[in-house]
Amino acid sequence: MKLLCPGEDEHDVEVRESAAGLIAIVDGESLAVEVSEVAPGTFVARSGERRETFHCVRKGDEIHLSWRGTAYRLEVGRSGSSLPRQALRGLEAPMPGKVIAVKASPGQTVAKGDEILVVEAMKMENAIRAPRDGTIKSIAVKLGDMVSPGVTLAELE
Amino acid sequence: MPLFRKILIANRGEIAVRVARTCRVMGIPTVAVYSEADREALHTREADEAVPIGPAEAARSYLNINALVSAATKAGADAIHPGYGFLSQSGDFVDAVSAAGLTFIGPPAEAHRRMGDKQGARRLMASAGVPIVPGYDGDDQSDATLRAQAQRLGFPVMVKPSRGGGGKGMHVVGRPEDLGSALAASRREATAAFGHDALVLERFVERARHVEVQVLADGHGRMVHLFERECSIQRRHQKVIEETPSPALTPEQRARLCAAGLAAARSVSYVNAGTVEFMLDRAGEFYFLEMNTRLQVEHPVTEALTSLDIVRLQIEVAAGKPLPLGQQDVVARGHALECRLYAEDPERDDLPSPGTILHLTPPEGPGVRFDCGVAAGSEVSVHYDPLLAKVVTWGRDRAESIERMRAALDRTAVLGVVTNKARLRAILEHPAFLAGDLHTGFIEEHLGELTSRGCPPAEALAALAAALRRRRPVDGDGQAAAPASDPWTGLGPWRIAGGA
Repeated sequence: MKLLCPGEDEHDVEVRESAAGLIAIVDGESLAVEVSEVAPGTFVARSGERRETFHCVRKGDEIHLSWRGTAYRLEVGRSGSSLPRQALRGLEAPMPGKVIAVKASPGQTVAKGDEILVVEAMKMENAIRAPRDGTIKSIAVKLGDMVSPGVTLAELE
Repeated sequence: MPLFRKILIANRGEIAVRVARTCRVMGIPTVAVYSEADREALHTREADEAVPIGPAEAARSYLNINALVSAATKAGADAIHPGYGFLSQSGDFVDAVSAAGLTFIGPPAEAHRRMGDKQGARRLMASAGVPIVPGYDGDDQSDATLRAQAQRLGFPVMVKPSRGGGGKGMHVVGRPEDLGSALAASRREATAAFGHDALVLERFVERARHVEVQVLADGHGRMVHLFERECSIQRRHQKVIEETPSPALTPEQRARLCAAGLAAARSVSYVNAGTVEFMLDRAGEFYFLEMNTRLQVEHPVTEALTSLDIVRLQIEVAAGKPLPLGQQDVVARGHALECRLYAEDPERDDLPSPGTILHLTPPEGPGVRFDCGVAAGSEVSVHYDPLLAKVVTWGRDRAESIERMRAALDRTAVLGVVTNKARLRAILEHPAFLAGDLHTGFIEEHLGELTSRGCPPAEALAALAAALRRRRPVDGDGQAAAPASDPWTGLGPWRIAGGA
């Protein structure tokens, strides 16, 4: 199984059964590991004398892990195919919300950092800024629209 | 005989849960209210009854005075606790509650109105001898006048709505050319959140601390303070970490500050629990910011410090009882710290991170309190504040409460939404925080750029893969049928490369 981290890192992880128990092979390195689920989503990993309690949940291709106090979100890459990475280009809605201001119009020249739109979510205004210098090709939303994450709000050329 | 027959809690999330718990202790039945988005929310389970009050938008549910009052009447409640936010500081709500013959658990409408109007409050404080920050609180709200006043005060200048609170609509403007857009944004946010667009300008004091005084007053003329809280660790004017006592104050400064808090509250004949907020500058001078005429989010640190239940005292005072304690009975012990756990992504400019809570393990341990508004399966929606929970620790001294907080945060696991926990943890490690050298720009100055968490270590990936293997999922998609608490069954097909 390929596990993708929030950056660009990708890890090959494989689990095999052996006479001595489970062996996990992480990027070619073998580690003996035994894991039991002690409560829904809560596991204890045993390696020799060591015990480590951790939490993980899988939802679709997302894996949520809490390990030694740190939360991670990973993606499962199916073998042979690499998942399209959702690049945050700055002109996509970063979260669900409502468009409460449109500050640029098609044809307008913008500089990196200029506010193009404002999306409100959870009572917070979040400015969507130009990721680079350019010209607004189109604005795909209008005032009052509700948008979901990843929706293209505007195109820059 | 309980003090009230039944209390309706006009709120949601962790505060509704917290109020319900004290009511339960006092033997008073409770009614929760919920919007369509909150049908299954945790707070509806913590009360004895739960009634719907409208659609997801707060304006048509949690801010709907008629819906709340009629829900209370219909349920046979004789009192309403407003929590914080929403209608907690609305004089109109207090009037409507009283007109229906019910008791509002909070101050009288007059106190809300006089303190809720920041222009008037500034003028009132000045006459009560409470120091105020240089600013503009005039009625002329034209851009030209505000611009001229901002020039007079000098940049950076703080723009804030005259009504409201919680940091909503507040903007620090560093350059004159940015003033226009800040005024527009502040008016827009103020109108949306509070239905009123008047603004106040104040000189922005750089590297200032935020300190506040908790006051409690009964209807018989007795008023006490419960010392101060320091809430300097903020992000976008939203408090993130609070503590008491403040590491900044000498005993003399503390005495002066608490006296000023009482003077401010007396000037509006305050009754019930309230908080007077001040800015503390580098020279140790403090200035009135505003009075929050309600229970404060961070009240648990004061409860930990004083061993008092502020919600209980609110209920007793609202029922007409005298305060059971005088100033000399309020004893501060040790140090208490609160971290607010938000559904926000610190690696992405603190963008809200809505979603479903897939797993939640609360912290436990000596001196730890966890006030939480969600559980596994809860939806964190875009409609409301992203506060999920508050972790509170108490220790003999500041060092111990910080140690306990670190351990508590490490034990806390919230999966499904991104939280600000990594930032909280980073703050608790920072030498300036440990030294108590705080100011409201602390996060931007020291921790603005939070580096990515990156990948889990190899041993974690090994354990994770083994956990996935252990719970080999079923073929096909049975997602809808799978209970939220069971993370593996029916989560769709997958396979381990090379393993099968």
